[in-house]
Amino acid sequence: MRIANLVSGVILILFCLTMLVLIIPTWIEEGPDGMMSPRLVPQMMIWLILGLSVLLIASNLRTVPSDDDGTSPVSREEWLAFGKIGGVFVLALALFLSFGALPASIVLIVGALLALGERRPLVMVLMPLGLIGGAWFLFYRVLGTAIM
Amino acid sequence: MTDLFHAFGDVLNLYTLLWIAIGVTIGYVLGVLPGLGKATGVAVAIPLTFYLQPVAAIALLIGIAKGSAAGSAVSAILLNTPGEPSSAPTALDGYPLARQGKAQKALKMGLYASVIGDFLSTLVLICLAAPLARYALLIGPVELCAILVFSLTFIGGLSGRSLLKGLIAGAFGILFATVGMETETFIPRLTFDLLELDDGLPLVPIAIGMLAVAEMIIQAGNMRELDAETTRIVDGTKPEDRRVLLSDWKASTAPILRGTLIGSIVGILPGLGASVGSFLSYGATRRASPRPEEFGTGRIEGVAAAESADNAVVPASFVPLFALGIPGSVIAALLIPAFILHGLTPGPRMFQEQPDLVAAVYAAMICASVLLLLIGYTGQRLFAQVTRVPIRLIIPGVLFLCCIGSYMETGSVFSIYIMLAFTVLGFFAKKLDFSFVTFLIGFVIGPSLELSFRQSLQILDHRWIKLLEHPIALVFIALTVLVLVMLARGRTKSRTVTAVRDTGTTITKGGHRETS
Repeated sequence: MRIANLVSGVILILFCLTMLVLIIPTWIEEGPDGMMSPRLVPQMMIWLILGLSVLLIASNLRTVPSDDDGTSPVSREEWLAFGKIGGVFVLALALFLSFGALPASIVLIVGALLALGERRPLVMVLMPLGLIGGAWFLFYRVLGTAIM
Repeated sequence: MTDLFHAFGDVLNLYTLLWIAIGVTIGYVLGVLPGLGKATGVAVAIPLTFYLQPVAAIALLIGIAKGSAAGSAVSAILLNTPGEPSSAPTALDGYPLARQGKAQKALKMGLYASVIGDFLSTLVLICLAAPLARYALLIGPVELCAILVFSLTFIGGLSGRSLLKGLIAGAFGILFATVGMETETFIPRLTFDLLELDDGLPLVPIAIGMLAVAEMIIQAGNMRELDAETTRIVDGTKPEDRRVLLSDWKASTAPILRGTLIGSIVGILPGLGASVGSFLSYGATRRASPRPEEFGTGRIEGVAAAESADNAVVPASFVPLFALGIPGSVIAALLIPAFILHGLTPGPRMFQEQPDLVAAVYAAMICASVLLLLIGYTGQRLFAQVTRVPIRLIIPGVLFLCCIGSYMETGSVFSIYIMLAFTVLGFFAKKLDFSFVTFLIGFVIGPSLELSFRQSLQILDHRWIKLLEHPIALVFIALTVLVLVMLARGRTKSRTVTAVRDTGTTITKGGHRETS
């Protein structure tokens, strides 16, 4: 975790500097005279995060190195799951924007099942049918409202 | 009290009771499923309540919170994998009991302790919130600002393993809360010319992304260990192993009452969370026992102590929310927009402005406790079967519901983008131990904090010496500094000790759980 802390500290410092130099001046105007600047609180928070990030790095540099310093806090399986489920979401979103909610929902459910190792055809058919049918019944019949 | 009796008239009808029962059932099932806790359930269900009557809507959400707190014991006992981190001490004795074939006994005692803790803590809320709120009305912007800073510091310091990371997470929460149109000058802040951001970032997609989707991805990465545990469940054949006997009650009554007291106190203090309550209660019961060495081998009072405290925290955590308008937990933070949406603004004024609705909420909470007992008792064997469902069949359904919940918040695909962006943030926050609890609470109290800060600057005329005219604010500023110093010292001394906090759960190899 020590190395992960150091890396996240550096990333946070870079983020804060970008916010202070580029983002806040560009995307938050100065307020009218006599009023408090709308930049005040965002800038205060960024300065606070910057200071705490420096402290995070300093405190981790002072910590005695241990054997598990280099161990990634995210396991290989978690990275894989992150990639697979992320991919399913990207595909479902593309379908949503092109063809609408129904194909996107089917791809989201079936894609997630496939990504997690499910291969039984019956489950592939029944899961989307049950979930989408259940959502339709709940919103359109029980609650009497439309989702979209 | 009269209002409360009248409120039962509003709640004791088929429509409201049905939604409470649905909430308790959904919550119980969510609690049983590892990784899906009350916060996830409430976040996903908030958009569903748009179409319900106010009392039913709030009752549904409270039912989910209460049901989930009780349900999390099931997977802790059967799988040694708590549904929520706060049930981790339940697993210490519950799982050995299950391995001895006494799963039914442990599950029943867990349920009874949960219901008693929850019910008594609800009474504490009813008795304490309104009197405290009277004092809260004396508080001005300067005092409120100091209290909010203190609360966030307290929560940031306690809800993770790192004080610095907790504070960074809280600061990020406030930073993200500034996105949108500034209320005084109407100048857009960090909207990047996106009209959807003019009203600020929506809480529900953020909470769903950080709490539910990110957790599902982590669960997906660890599902083999979880599925392996389901094959080890055994059930006893002797009738006495399936029932809670008089001797069990004798052993567990004092731990339940102690746990309720500890849970209620922990719940009232912002930021400590249910995990602290259940661990403190378990530890206190073990210390009070004449045979403490037997704890961890299957003592029924261990289950009772942990579960009573775990469930007592939920209603008690509404005390600061109702009395001061300050959310002390994620669940309280998530309930704020739901309450506001249905006409109840949490804070001291709600007792004067909406006494009927407040009483109805109290009545709904009491009814939820009773229904929790009924539903939990009759459906416990069925709910226990949920633990046998492979996690790969649960995750797609949860992801689908998350998308519906996020989409319904704004009726736009932009909410899904927000949900996914905060999924990524939540995933890394959990893995790197940046407390998303503090982030979400910072995000929720951010607007109040900014407003009270601006008002304070005007009241103080930008002269800090004028703070001397506000002794309450000075006390809270001093407390903030004190908490920071004490926590920093405490962390330095006990860096090797791993504390369990409400910052999320991760299943590690071997079926054990740790907070992340």
